[in-house]
Order: sequence, then C-alpha cells, then structure tokens
Amino acid sequence: MCNKHSEIQQNPSHFEGSAEEKVTAQHVQANFMDYIKDMKFFDPHIHMTSRTTDDYQALADAGVVAIIEPAFWLGQPRTGLATFKDYFSSLVGWERFRSSQFGIKHYCTIGLNSREANNEPLAEQVMEILPLYLYKEGVVGVGEIGFDDQTPAEEKYYRWQLDLAKEANLPVQVHTPHRDKRKGTERSMAIALEHGIAPNMVIIDHNNEETVKSVLDQGFYAAFTIYPFTKMGNERMVEIVKQYGSERIMINSAADWGISDPLAVAKTAALMKMKGISDHDIKMVTYQNAIDAFAQSGQINVEDFENNTVIDQSKTFNGNTILRGGQQPRIDKNAIVIR
Amino acid sequence: MTSIQHILLSAIEATANEKELEWVKTKSNSDVKAIQIAFVSAPRFIRKVAIRIDEKVLHEAVPDWQIEEWTLERLVRVYLLLHIPSDQSEEYVKNIETLFDTAEINELVALYSALPVLSYPEKWLFRATEAVRSNMGVVFDAIGFGNPYPFLHFSELAWNQLVLKCIFNDKPIHLIVGLEKRANRKLAETLSDFAHERWAADRKVPAQVWRLVTNFMNDTILADLDKLFQSNDIQNQTAAALVCSETTFPGAESLLENYPQLRASVQKGQLSWKQLEVHQLCYV
Repeated sequence: MCNKHSEIQQNPSHFEGSAEEKVTAQHVQANFMDYIKDMKFFDPHIHMTSRTTDDYQALADAGVVAIIEPAFWLGQPRTGLATFKDYFSSLVGWERFRSSQFGIKHYCTIGLNSREANNEPLAEQVMEILPLYLYKEGVVGVGEIGFDDQTPAEEKYYRWQLDLAKEANLPVQVHTPHRDKRKGTERSMAIALEHGIAPNMVIIDHNNEETVKSVLDQGFYAAFTIYPFTKMGNERMVEIVKQYGSERIMINSAADWGISDPLAVAKTAALMKMKGISDHDIKMVTYQNAIDAFAQSGQINVEDFENNTVIDQSKTFNGNTILRGGQQPRIDKNAIVIR
Repeated sequence: MTSIQHILLSAIEATANEKELEWVKTKSNSDVKAIQIAFVSAPRFIRKVAIRIDEKVLHEAVPDWQIEEWTLERLVRVYLLLHIPSDQSEEYVKNIETLFDTAEINELVALYSALPVLSYPEKWLFRATEAVRSNMGVVFDAIGFGNPYPFLHFSELAWNQLVLKCIFNDKPIHLIVGLEKRANRKLAETLSDFAHERWAADRKVPAQVWRLVTNFMNDTILADLDKLFQSNDIQNQTAAALVCSETTFPGAESLLENYPQLRASVQKGQLSWKQLEVHQLCYV
C-alpha cells in the first residue's frame, strides 16, 4: 500500500545498466508482452476491489491466471463492524465472481489490518467475526496483518491473529511497515516464531534490499511489491533475483487505490527475461513460489487455473453468443462506436 | 430423521467415500455452532464430485426440485442445514440468517438451493428476492433454475422480476420452475414493452420468451407477432406461429394464414417451444 503523500518519493535507483540497456528498457515499455508469451502468472497480492474491470481484462491478457486479494485498509477508516463484514463478504463473494468473468481465479486472505487495529473498540468486534471467514473456501491465509506505526495495539492484534492462523493451519501474509521497516520486519518475524509458527508458513511482504537477507536466512518466504515510488522498482528486483536466486522469493503488484500497476508482475517477468534471468527462475518468482506458499492452506487447486483453455467467444448456439462460465464478452477498446 | 433428510443422506451415501461420510454423520449430529462451521468449512472435507440421486423418490417429496447436477459439497451443505434445530422459529431464522449474512459465493448457492426444504418458508421471501437482485450469476441461477421456491411463494411482482431479469440477462427461462403456470397479463405486457426497447436498440429478443404471451394477447402484442413473422429469423417466425396456433385471441388465426408454410408446419406438429430453448447459460 502506498499510504501518504509524504511517502511518495522516488526510490533510489539501483539500476546500474549501460546507456544501451537503458535505451532497450525504454523501447520495451511499448511491447513487453513479446517477452512473456506463453508465460502465466500468479499475483499473490492485489487489491482488485479498488480496480476497474479494464484492469481485470488487462491482467487476463497479460497471462495472470490467479490472484490473491488480501484484506486491507480502504483508504478511509471504517466506523463500524458492519462495513468490515460487508468488505470481507465482498472478498469471498462479489469480487470472486467479478474475477471469474475474466477467467481469473480469485483467492483472498482475511485479517484485521494493522492501521485499523489501533481502533481498539472496533478491533475487538472484528476479531469476533474473523473466524467465520477464515475457514471459508478459497481463503488462503490470514492477512495482511502486522505492523504500521508499531503501537502496542498493533502488536496485540497481530499476536491474536497469529494464534488464529495457527489454529486454522493457515499461512500468514505479513505487511511490513513503511517507516522503520528493518526493525519492524525483524520484530514481525520474531513474534511469529515466538508463537510457534513455522517460518515456511509466513510470507513476509514488501521486502527491499535491506530486509531480504534476514528474511530468507530465517526460512520465511520473501515477497516483493513492485510499486512505483514507495516500494520496489522492477530493475532493483532483477538485481535481487540475480543475487539471491529464486528460492522462496515471490513478487506482487499490491495494486490498490494508489498510483500502482496491476501488470507489475508481468512487466517484471519481461524485464527479467530481457536481462537474462532463466525461465525457471522467472516462473518460480512470478508463479510457483506463491502457489507453494499459499497452497499450504489446502485451498488452492492448481487445476482450477493451470490448464485454462482459451475461450472462443465467437462460438454461437441458436444465434446466441455462448460465453462459458459467465465470461464477459470482449469489446474493442479502440472503437469509437459503442453498441 | 425426516423423509427429505433420509433422501439426501441416501444420495450422499451413494457418492461419498468412507471418510467423507464419517465427517457428514459426525457434523450433522453436532450442536448448532458446529453445524454452522461445518457448513462453512465443508469444501475442506468434501469433494466437488457429481452426485447420484434417485430423482423419482426426490420428486415425490419435493416436486420439481432439480438437484441432479449438484456437486457432493453442495448436497452436503444443504443436508447440514436440515440439521439446524427448527422447533424455535426465531432462533432458527437467526441461525440461518447468520450464514446468509457472512456467506461466500458457493455458500450462497447452497443456501438458496436449500430454500424449498427449509422450515418456515415464508420467512425467506426477502432473502429469495435478494438472490434475484444479485449480479453474481451463480447466485441468481440458484434461486432461478430448478428451484420450486419462487413458483410456490413469490408475489406476482417478485415473480415477474425474476422472469424479466432472466430474459434481460439472456438466460434460459425454461429452466424456471412453473414458468407457464405463473404466466400473467402484466408480465406479457412488460415483455412487449421490453421487445420494443430492444428492437429500437437494434438488439434481439430470445424467441422463446413469446411463449409467455399466449394467454394474454392484446392488439399491441398481435402487432409484435406480425413483426416477428416479417423478421426473416426462423426462430422469431417459429415463436409467432406457435403463439398464433395456441391463442384464442381474435385476429391471430388470420395472421397465421398469411404465412401458409409456417401454418402447415405448426399444424403438422413440426414446431415446438422446445426447439427455441437455449440450454447454455449466456451472459451478453
């Protein structure tokens, strides 16, 4: 998540490429799809509630076959339990249906986000209803939870939710703070271990160059969010994969209501391909590792998206267009005439 | 055990493996809280395989309830709902409403599928109309198709909304239980208006919807039939010929005489509404 205007500043560039490479990178902007033909992607962190149907179409076109939508803050504080309930219900209901119309399998993680953990009277009520959602089909983890300001209230509800995850045998998707990130990340990991949760059941999210080594060394999954200005740039991401390889590393877009890019995973795959990362490593960080991590929930059946046959929308039956499984018809975005 | 519980359990037994059956038996004999959690977590323990059901026995107990295309997980969920104690109506409704309030998409499908066999059927009227309002395709289908609840309990207004929304979304109306029995004048008139709107937009109307106007003809609808005859679309023409041959409205017979070939076909029994039924669900 991109949180505050004051936080929107350019990341220090770690791109050390030659002038020639920079020119290539510019050129590829327009046709990055040429580099990722036949690849499929799994974006394990994207807030589709905040995105349009055009984004779903673009995700499908770019080869994204499945996504995870973590429960998070909506940009404005909620004032009552009912809005939390409706939000959670939309993650397992309406949004799931919306996604299916574009042939994308939608999963979610459910949790009380760190920011709203600070409203304790409300947080108490939310904790009451969380178990109702955690056992639902397609809920692949508790998330995104963790620290924001690193207050005592945040710690209390982080610990409580770790226990819920342990009881439900669900992976945990941990949001690491924007401010004081390195210490916040260490603290999040230490607490998870203290609660007896195996590190391979925890996905530490929003890593950067400063946090990744410790996360991997301790056996956790390390997720990277490719998000302009406030999180990782994808040139830096390529360097990380070069340095650390592809084991237990995954990337996501965390696209939401901020300036973000739902195609971040696909674009980063293209950049990795251009820069000589092997197809195997690309597949691990843009697809397989996320599946392996979250399939520990028992809620991911790869058959649901792996062999997604191409839908021929031109087929007709008795003069009616047949759209299998409720797929949305395609429209020509460049056409000026709308019928 | 009630007879419907017994019928559903037989179907579960015919499909489930030993482990699944054990789970179903244990959970269905638990307290309300445990049944609710079992309802929610069913897909963790029960596979989504096709079921086998003795339709004849089922339809003796619940006429027109179409469940043969259900998965085992859906069947088990409905079976679990039948074990929530129903002796106290208020408590019972609250327990079911809690499940509705927090349901994910497949849970909603199971809940709406179960309406024909839940206790206090009148208590679920509002919920049932909410499913008609839903834009989640499978949720609408769960109340709309193979489900006798709307036929038995909907007001005319709610019924007409169900049929109209189904037509508007180009879904197959013939899967609605009691479609012809609950045809009515208001619906026929609205269908005519709807057709005019679609034609003005240069869009089509699924031909089989005209079966709903047969007993509620008026001069406007007669003119609509004339338009269908002249449309150069064999499905439209078939529909018009069928209505003209089935209705007693003055003028229909002479309209059909203008199209001797179609008249001959319909008289020989070569045309039927069945030919116009589109089975696939489509969403254009």
